[in-house]
Amino acid sequence: MAQYFDVIIVGAGPAGSMAALKLARAGLKVVMLERGRYPGSKNMFGGLLHNTPALNEMLPAFWERAPLERRVFQKVLAFMTPTSSVSMTFETENFEQPPYNGYTVFRPAFDNWLAGEAVKEGALLLCDCTAEDLIQKDGQVVGVTVKGRDGKLRSSIVIAADGVLSFMAKQAGLRRDFRAADMGLGIKLLLGLPEATIDERFHLARDEGADISFVGTTNGLRGGSFLYTNRESISIGMVVHLDSLRASGKAPYQVLDELLQHPHVRKLLKGAEPLEYSAHLIPEGGIKAIPKLYTGGMLVAGDAAGLCYTNGLNLEGINLAMTSGALAAETALQAIEAGDYTARMLSSYKKKLDNSFIMKDMKTFKNAVGMMHMERLFQAYPEIAGNILEKIYRVEGVPRSKLLRLARKEALKNVKLRDLISDGIKIGKSLL
Amino acid sequence: MNVDNLPQLTQFQVDEQPHIVLNKKICQSCDHHACVQSCPANCYTFDEATKLMSVVYETCLECGTCYVICDKGAIDWSYPRGGYGVRFRLT
Repeated sequence: MAQYFDVIIVGAGPAGSMAALKLARAGLKVVMLERGRYPGSKNMFGGLLHNTPALNEMLPAFWERAPLERRVFQKVLAFMTPTSSVSMTFETENFEQPPYNGYTVFRPAFDNWLAGEAVKEGALLLCDCTAEDLIQKDGQVVGVTVKGRDGKLRSSIVIAADGVLSFMAKQAGLRRDFRAADMGLGIKLLLGLPEATIDERFHLARDEGADISFVGTTNGLRGGSFLYTNRESISIGMVVHLDSLRASGKAPYQVLDELLQHPHVRKLLKGAEPLEYSAHLIPEGGIKAIPKLYTGGMLVAGDAAGLCYTNGLNLEGINLAMTSGALAAETALQAIEAGDYTARMLSSYKKKLDNSFIMKDMKTFKNAVGMMHMERLFQAYPEIAGNILEKIYRVEGVPRSKLLRLARKEALKNVKLRDLISDGIKIGKSLL
Repeated sequence: MNVDNLPQLTQFQVDEQPHIVLNKKICQSCDHHACVQSCPANCYTFDEATKLMSVVYETCLECGTCYVICDKGAIDWSYPRGGYGVRFRLT
């Protein structure tokens, strides 16, 4: 016999839990299927939970209760060569006022907490349940089955928040097979370090945290590295495009090891104790790689919907996921009220996404996907930056050049003029 | 730090049913074996002598890299049964 729910949510990650919270609060019968032993046990990310108005609205002043590590108020962008580092540091007290701009979090803690908030509102959370097959009837999605379990779960609407690989979206025929060029592989090492040491080493006080992005530390692979400070640990890792990784013939942990061995990074990590290693894919194909977001009886949210973008400076996903979860819930509520679960009815989800910052930002930076596939950005340009700064600061009794002449000379040593111009146009089109 | 042993830091609840099944015949004729070097948990090994591909699904981080990178259709990949597989504690 099948159990019936108004909405089945596949995946109790940030998107799924936000949807569940909203639906349960509205009094609907909603269940979350989580394949892990607890929400978050299958999830990882670099480490930064961005300020998300949809979350602040659902759970006002959540930062007073949620399991957060540090508030990020220091942002560093560092261009690295094997021997030098050119970095820009931004710090502001303005990020020290609520709602805070971002927090470092552990996903097993944060995701578990957020799902718990949905449960408090009346949502049912079923852990240890891997959704296996969609149940479809007359072209409509009407439920799911669970791997290794008998019985079926039926619903008016299924929200697929099952993560980047979304087998639910695939089964519904909403997504194509993935291309390696559209996927980033993130790997991360968590390292323990005493709180006082972190405060001192990164110039932090109280609950302040640092977010450092490194460019040029991926051994020529397209991607970047990151370092986040948690309360008593440091998350360090990297993200590389899968096609670039494949072409390099290197193992990802070897590339990570080169970062860990970098003289600048070694100083930051001195005495740190390895605690946990994790890996995950990231949908980095931009707006072109987004699947179809709805079909009869089903909506897709979060990573499953490919909602994630980077322009080199901003890397956002978790805030897009939570916001899309809330919008999916809003759509489901309207559909249930109307008693209409057809694709036509659910198409308003796409409109809601289009009108939100999610699709607007992904459109604004749609050319950044191409920029992030520009090989020179990840090795040649960091080297040029390092060489220019070294020439500027080195004192050795040799006559100096004016800066523009120096910069041009150093740039042309690594990159042809034609390429410099075309890259400049590409970067300009992406960001300016 | 020995990066080859990184997955030892991570906790796994091993299922007796593998969630990755290989069509080893296809692997035999594969010209790149990209899965071997790309897997962040070093789960894949290709034995040049016997021409046999093997996978240690027990320490799989469930990232899906092999699933995306294999363009030969040799990997039947699904999520483990509920509760099994990788279990992150802190990350």
